[in-house]
Amino acid sequence: MNTADIPFLTAAALGRLIQRQEVSPVEAVEAYLERIYSVDRKLNSYITVCRNHALAAARQAEEEIAAGEHRGPLHGVPVAVKDQFNTAGILTTGGSKVLATNVPDHDATVITNLRNAGAILLGKLNMSEFATGNSIYHHWGTPRNPWDRSRNPGTSSSGSGAATAAFLCATSLGEDTGGSIRNPANNCGLVGLRPTWGLVSRHGMLGASWSNDIGGPISRTAEDCALTLQAIAGPDPNDPYTAHAPTPDYQAELNGDIKGLRVGVVREGLYADFVQPQVRDTVSRAIGTLESLGASIDEVSIPLLPYTAAINRIHIEVEAAPSHREWLANQPQNYDHNVRTDFLTGCVVPGQLYYKALKLRELIRQQVFEALDKVDVLALPNTSEPAPLINDKPGIFSQEEATARMSGRRSLTGSFNLASVPALAVHCGFVSAEGSPKLPTALQLAGRPFSDGTLLRVAHNFQKATPWHIQRPPI
Amino acid sequence: MADLTKDEVRSLGKAAGLDLQEPHLTEVTYNINALKELLDDLNPPGLDEVEPLPIIHPYQQIRQ
Repeated sequence: MNTADIPFLTAAALGRLIQRQEVSPVEAVEAYLERIYSVDRKLNSYITVCRNHALAAARQAEEEIAAGEHRGPLHGVPVAVKDQFNTAGILTTGGSKVLATNVPDHDATVITNLRNAGAILLGKLNMSEFATGNSIYHHWGTPRNPWDRSRNPGTSSSGSGAATAAFLCATSLGEDTGGSIRNPANNCGLVGLRPTWGLVSRHGMLGASWSNDIGGPISRTAEDCALTLQAIAGPDPNDPYTAHAPTPDYQAELNGDIKGLRVGVVREGLYADFVQPQVRDTVSRAIGTLESLGASIDEVSIPLLPYTAAINRIHIEVEAAPSHREWLANQPQNYDHNVRTDFLTGCVVPGQLYYKALKLRELIRQQVFEALDKVDVLALPNTSEPAPLINDKPGIFSQEEATARMSGRRSLTGSFNLASVPALAVHCGFVSAEGSPKLPTALQLAGRPFSDGTLLRVAHNFQKATPWHIQRPPI
Repeated sequence: MADLTKDEVRSLGKAAGLDLQEPHLTEVTYNINALKELLDDLNPPGLDEVEPLPIIHPYQQIRQ
C-alpha cells in the first residue's frame, strides 16, 4: 500500500492491516505526521503534535505485534484527543491561554485506556476555550472546517471534528457538554457519540459542567466510533460516578439489522420553525432510509425541547464558574472576551433562577424518558442549520442579542445532556449555504441510558446503506 | 418581574468576590436578564410537582 494512502483508511481497516503486519504502526504514524504537517496549517486543528512520543509508541507497538502480543483493534492506530484531557508530560491547555504552560503529571483515565488498548497518541486537538462553545479568540489559531475554511467546524471539540474529517488522525476523542461532540460531527460530516453519562470516566478531564460533561468518540464511521468507545468506556475508581457494570462488546453490537426497531421522530425537533427547510428535508430522507431498512417510524413529543438552550446554559455556566473564579479575579485578561462574560454570568446567577432550571431539567428528563417508553431510539436533526461562518466579533451588544444567543440553535442537542442519555450524530447528506454549495448535516439519534450500542448499530446500518461517509472534504 | 439593573448585578458580583467592570458588567447584565426572561416565561404543566432531583440515575436498575 502507498504510504500516503494510509490516512484515508478507517481506523478499523488500518487496525486490521496492522494486525496482519501488512502496515507497520511506524509507517502509519509517519503517514499521519506527513499529512498533518502539509495540511494542518490551513485548519489549526492541532495544538500539540506529539511527534517523538508517537514514533516511540509506534516502535513499541510494532515490536509487540511482531512478538504476537496484539492488544486489539486499535493497537498501533494513531489517534488524537481534544486538549481537554490530561496527558502526562504533554501540554494540556483546555484551549486557553490561562493554561498555556500546563503540563500535567498524570494521564486522564481515557488516555490511560487508549494507551492500554495500544492506540498511538498523535497529538492534542484545538477546542473552544474551556469547552464553552462561545469563544472567538483561539490562542493556538482559529480552527477551520475542512469543507469550507470560512466556516466553523463545530464547537467545542472543533479540532477533533476538523482533524478527523481531514484525515489527520484515524479517530479522535471529543467532549460533549451541550452538543460539543455531535456539533463537530454535524459540521464536518462525521459520526460523533455522546455516551451515556457515567459510561466514560471524567477523571483527568478539564471540567466544564460536571453533570453534563462526558468524553466520547468522533470518527469517520460508526464502526470506528464503536472501537474508540470500547477502548475508553468502563468503571473507574477515580471517578466514583462511573457506572459499575460490565462494558458491552460494542463492535459485536454493530452486527445485525434494524428490522423492527422503533424510531420516534421528535416532533419539536424535525418540525421546529427554526430548522432550515434543507436540513429538515435531508434529515427526513435519512429517517426514510431507516424505514427502508426495516425500522418502524412513529412521532413522539418532547414539549420542552425548544426551550432547552437557556436551561442548559444556566447549568453549564453555574457549574463551570467555581473552577474559574480565582483565575477570573487574577488573570481575567487571559480569557476570551465571550468566555469571560459567560463565566462571570455563572458566578452571579441568582439562586432562585438556578433552582427553577433544576426543576425544568427534571421535567425535560421525564419527557425524554416518556418518549423513550414508546420507541427504541429518538430521531431529529442535530442542528437547525449547517456550519455557520466563523464569528470574529466578540461581545453582546443588546438585550435582544443576549436572549437570542440563549434560545434556538443549540437546543436540539442539549435535552439529551440534561437527561444524561446517549446521543449520536451521523452525517446524513449535504445542504448549501451562501457561498458554500456543499456542507454536511447530520441525523441525531438518542436512546435510553446504556443503549449506546443500539445507536451505533443504527448508524452503522445507515452508513452501509448510504454514501455520505465516503465523501471527502476539499482539503 | 423587572429586569436587574447594572448596579444590582454589580452587587451580585461583589457578593461572589468579583469586581465586575465594563464592558463585562453590561454584557453579564444582558445575560442574566435574558435567562430571567426566558425562564420567567417557562411554566410548563407539572413544574410545581417535580423536585430538582440530582442527575444520578439508578443506572443498574435501568440497565436490567
